[in-house]
Amino acid sequence: MLSNRPPRCLPVHSEPVPADDRSSAGVHRRRTTDRRRVLRGVFAAALGLVSAPILVASRSAGAEEARFDETYRGRSIVGVRSGGRRFGNGGSGAWHVTVDGRQLHLMRRVDGGWMSMVDHYQSYATPLAAARAAVDELGLVARPGAPGDRSGRREDGRMPSGAREAEREHRHGVHP
Amino acid sequence: MVYIRKDVSTLTTSERRRFVNALLEVKRRGEYDEFVRTHIEYYTADGERGLRVAHMAPSFLPWHRRFLLDLENTLRRVDESVTLPYWDWTRNRTLTAVPWTVDLLGGTGRRSDRQVMSGPFAYRHGRWTIKVGVTDTEYLMRDLGRSRDPLALPTARDLEKALKDPVYDTAPWGSTSAKGFRNKLEGWGRGSGPASWLTHNRVHRWVGGHMVSGASVNDPAFWMHHAFVDLLWSRWQRRHPNARYLPARPLPAGDAQHGRVVARRQKMPPWDVTPEELQDHSRIYRYA
Ligand SMILES: [Cu+2]
Repeated sequence: MLSNRPPRCLPVHSEPVPADDRSSAGVHRRRTTDRRRVLRGVFAAALGLVSAPILVASRSAGAEEARFDETYRGRSIVGVRSGGRRFGNGGSGAWHVTVDGRQLHLMRRVDGGWMSMVDHYQSYATPLAAARAAVDELGLVARPGAPGDRSGRREDGRMPSGAREAEREHRHGVHP
Repeated sequence: MVYIRKDVSTLTTSERRRFVNALLEVKRRGEYDEFVRTHIEYYTADGERGLRVAHMAPSFLPWHRRFLLDLENTLRRVDESVTLPYWDWTRNRTLTAVPWTVDLLGGTGRRSDRQVMSGPFAYRHGRWTIKVGVTDTEYLMRDLGRSRDPLALPTARDLEKALKDPVYDTAPWGSTSAKGFRNKLEGWGRGSGPASWLTHNRVHRWVGGHMVSGASVNDPAFWMHHAFVDLLWSRWQRRHPNARYLPARPLPAGDAQHGRVVARRQKMPPWDVTPEELQDHSRIYRYA
């Protein structure tokens, strides 16, 4: 059911900035620019111009399944790799992961590891391992999302008006 | 006037009260949540594209130094007597030690939902509602010592391994730098599991709950932890007086990290400040 839908987890990346000694060209990214960049990423993704993280190494490349769907500690965790395109050096793909239907943002480490916003001080070999670890960290009650958003919002639902800016914020650097 | 940052275990009753009250006031004004947002926004991992400044990067230390100064200035506008205390986790190592007392940060979270129930930051007092975060919970969460699979705080011996490294940072200037003070202190170890959680990172895990998430700033423990990390940078500088922030110059085109880390005299977003300008804090504050 999820497979035909394009992922809402939009890869958003800043472009590499040229660095020259004193001027710090581009290093001057201000927050407003960041927001613009986020929006740019959204548009780019909508047009199918999805960028990917740069990976120097990707040990899990190729070995992973293109999706997973399991119940772990009573939580439904689902991951879908957006297919076909070559991502990064390793081609390990952009993943869209949810816990109980709520998006779990993942980031890449340069060694190919995956980290989630819920568990941000270590990384895991696969998106599935990162999702399980996030469930471990979430405990029995918490779910991914914005504080106070107790609705049963699912991926296919709209964001309730109560959803805070954080939702937008943590889309930053988020990744596949 | 140069002010003093103290070991949190030495604060008097009134110093504790004033520190806590200043935090609650900054939170009430909505300013605190801006800090949470900034930290989420600038946490870019080293497998992602683009410039990264706050973590997995040489500027981890100066970035957080400036971040702490901003919060401290905000607190001092509320109460000029307040300075950021530091938590020396090599000495205050138990679940009942400072800063986990009811007059400071309160204790661990309860078992069912990790909600912090004691102290001024307990949700029921209505003065510390989480507004910016990555989970739907509005209460502060902790799991001190990682109760489900206990973990010890880093020791002075662990720190020594970082402090004795005479080089500030090394290629590839990120989470896989095997040498250099910066990553040994930041704590991205090799492999996976508890053995790979070192120093600064390990402390985030030990506190657990919000502290282990991208929204770690929601726990005021963040500031005391990072004040100690900041102190350790100063301690390292005293021990290696000729060592400086690296890279000294921007990495050349062709280097995989070109344009992705900040060199000594480059500006460090979101501020107009360079790592070099932040190397010496002795005219602003000192550690007691
Ligand atoms: Cu930290």
